[in-house]
Amino acid sequence: MSNKVENTNLTTEEKAELKAENKAEFREWLAFQKKEFVKNVNIVKQLVLRSIKVQYRNSVIGVFWTILNPLLNMLVMYLVFSSMFQRSGGATPTDGETYALYLLCGNIVFGMMRTATFQSLPSIVQNRGLLTKNKMSYNVFPLSYTLSAVVNFGFSFIALLGVMLFVRFFSGQAVFSFNIFLVLVALPALFLFSYGLSLVLSAMYTFFRDIKHFYNVFLTLWMYLTPIFYNINMFDNAGFSASFMKTVIKLNPMYYFVEYFRDVVYRCSAHEGAISGLKAEVANAIATGSNSLAELQVDLAATIEAAQLPGVGAVFTLYAIGGITTLIGAIVFMATKRKFIYNI
Amino acid sequence: MFKSHKKHIMKNSENVIEVENVCMDFYRRDEKVDNLKEFFVRLVKGKLERKKERILENISFELKKGESIGLIGHNGAGKSTLLKIISNIIEPTEGTVRTHGVIAPLLNLGAGFDYEATGKENVYLNGAILGYSKKELEHKYKEIVEFSELEKHMNIPLKNYSSGMVARLGFAIAIDVEPQILLVDEILSVGDENFRRKCADKIDELRRKGVSFVIVSHNIDQVRKLCQKALWIENSHVRGYGDVNEVCDRYEEYCADIKKKAEQAKRAAEVEKFAKAEAEAEAKAEELLSAVLNENSTAEAVAEAENK
Repeated sequence: MSNKVENTNLTTEEKAELKAENKAEFREWLAFQKKEFVKNVNIVKQLVLRSIKVQYRNSVIGVFWTILNPLLNMLVMYLVFSSMFQRSGGATPTDGETYALYLLCGNIVFGMMRTATFQSLPSIVQNRGLLTKNKMSYNVFPLSYTLSAVVNFGFSFIALLGVMLFVRFFSGQAVFSFNIFLVLVALPALFLFSYGLSLVLSAMYTFFRDIKHFYNVFLTLWMYLTPIFYNINMFDNAGFSASFMKTVIKLNPMYYFVEYFRDVVYRCSAHEGAISGLKAEVANAIATGSNSLAELQVDLAATIEAAQLPGVGAVFTLYAIGGITTLIGAIVFMATKRKFIYNI
Repeated sequence: MFKSHKKHIMKNSENVIEVENVCMDFYRRDEKVDNLKEFFVRLVKGKLERKKERILENISFELKKGESIGLIGHNGAGKSTLLKIISNIIEPTEGTVRTHGVIAPLLNLGAGFDYEATGKENVYLNGAILGYSKKELEHKYKEIVEFSELEKHMNIPLKNYSSGMVARLGFAIAIDVEPQILLVDEILSVGDENFRRKCADKIDELRRKGVSFVIVSHNIDQVRKLCQKALWIENSHVRGYGDVNEVCDRYEEYCADIKKKAEQAKRAAEVEKFAKAEAEAEAKAEELLSAVLNENSTAEAVAEAENK
C-alpha cells in the first residue's frame, strides 16, 4: 500500500495522490468501524433483553418482583434501624425526613451499582462459550449487565414512587415536583461509574477467580461506609473519630450519588413544602410578638437553604467520578484484553 | 494505521483467504494459576515461570473464491486453533491473515447458546453476534425455523431441548447467514439420518453458489468429496499442502504406516514376551532335569556303596 512507499522525494502530484488514497482508506476504515459499532449495539440490545427475561421467567410474580424486592428490603431495614436508633437516645437519624424514603432512595442507588458490578464480575468467564467460538468484543458483556441493572433501577424507581405516594397521603410530607426528572441527569453518571468498575472487575476475574470472594466482602464494607441507613450529620458533634469517619465517608464516591438522588427525588421539594408553613409561623410570631421569632427565622433560613437544588457543581462531581472510573476501566480492559482468551 | 480494516485488502483479488507465515505461541504454566492465593504463593516460591509452546509454525495457504480446503491431521495438531485464527477470534503471534467477505464460524454447534433462554431468543442473540440487525433476522427467522424443523419448540427454553435439536438449531442459524466463507469444525454428523442428508444438500447448494469452505475433519472420504485442496498439519508443522487426493493419499499412507509400525511394535513385544517365557520354561525344565539326574546319580552312588 501507499504507506509503504519509502521514497521521500515525491512530487506534489504524488503527494496529493497519497493524501487522497489515505483519505479514502480512512473513510473505509470509518465505515468498517461503524458497522462494528452497529453490530455491537445489536448484541448488547439482545443481551439486555435476554438477561431481563431470564431473570423473571422462573418466578411466579415476574417483573413485579423487582418492584417488590426493594420494598421488602426497605421494610426490613426500616423495622430494624428505626427501633435501634430510637433506643439509642431517640435522635432521628434523618433530621425530620421520612426515614422510609431515606432508606429506599439510598438502597436502590447503591443496589444498582452493586448488581451491575457483581453480575459483570464473572460475565466474561461465564460467556466463554460465545467468546471462544465467535468473533465479538469482550466488553459487550459488562456493558449489557450494567445496562440491565439500569433497567432494574427503573423498576425499583416505581416502588419508590409508590412509597412517595403513600407517604404523601398519610403524612403529607413528600411533595412531588419536577425535580424528580433530575434523576435522569445523574443516572448516566452512575452508569459510567458502575461500567468502569465492571470493566476492571471482569478483566481481573479472568486472571484470578477468588476476586469474587474479596469483592463480596468489600461490597459489604462499602455498604456500611455509605450513608444508606444513617446520616452523615450524626457525626457532627463528636470528637476525632467522628470527624475521621466523616472524611472516610466523603472519600466514598457512592456518598455523592446517594445524596444527589435523595436531594432531587424528595428532599428539596419536601423542604420547599415546609417553607410556606414556616413563613406563616413567622408572620404569626411577628403579629403576636412572640419570643421565638429569632429561632423561627433561623429555622426558615435553614429550610430555604436546604430547599436549594444541588447545583451544576454537584452534577459535575458525579460526572467526574463516573468519567474517571470509566477511563481507568477502559485502560485496564484494553491492556489485558489480549490475554483473556487464554484464561477463560 | 488502520489495521483492523486492512485485514480485508487481499494481495490477490481472486482469493478469499490468505494465510501467511502464521505462528502461534501459547503460554502454559504447569498447573493453572487462576486465583490470587495461588499466584502469591508461587510468587514467593518463585515458581511462576511459564512455558512457551509453539502450536503452529509457519503455516501458509490461500483459498480462491468457491474453492474448499480440508484441514487434516491428528488430534492436537493445531487445526482448530488455525480455524480460530482465520475467523479472527484469536490473533496469531506472528504472520498475517487476510480474509474477504462474511465468515461464518461453525465451530462446535450450540456453544453460543443460552440454555435458560428460548429457541427464539437464541436465534435473535446468535444472529446479532453474527452481525445481523433485528429487521434482517425477522426475515430469516421463518427460514431458520423451517430448516431446523422445530416450529413447535421455539418458545420453550433450550434446556428442555435434546442435544440433537440444539445441534439442528445451531446448524440452521449458522447456515442461514449467507456467508462467503464457512469454517466447519467436525460438525457434519449432527442429528438423525434425515437431517444429515438435508445438511449435505444445503452444503452442496452453498458450494454451487460459490461459498468457500474450510473444513476440519477426521473423515478423509468426506474431505475428498467436498474439497479441492487439503492442508495436512502434523506436530504444528505443515506436512502437506496441495491437491486433495495427493495430500490425502500421503496422509492415509502415513496413518497406515503409523498403524503398521504400532502393530509391528506390538507384535515384536509379543514375540519378545513369548521368547522370554520360552527361555524361562526351558531353564526351569533343565533345572528339573539336572535335579532328577543328580538324584539318580546319588542313588546310584548309594547303591554302589551298599554293593561294596
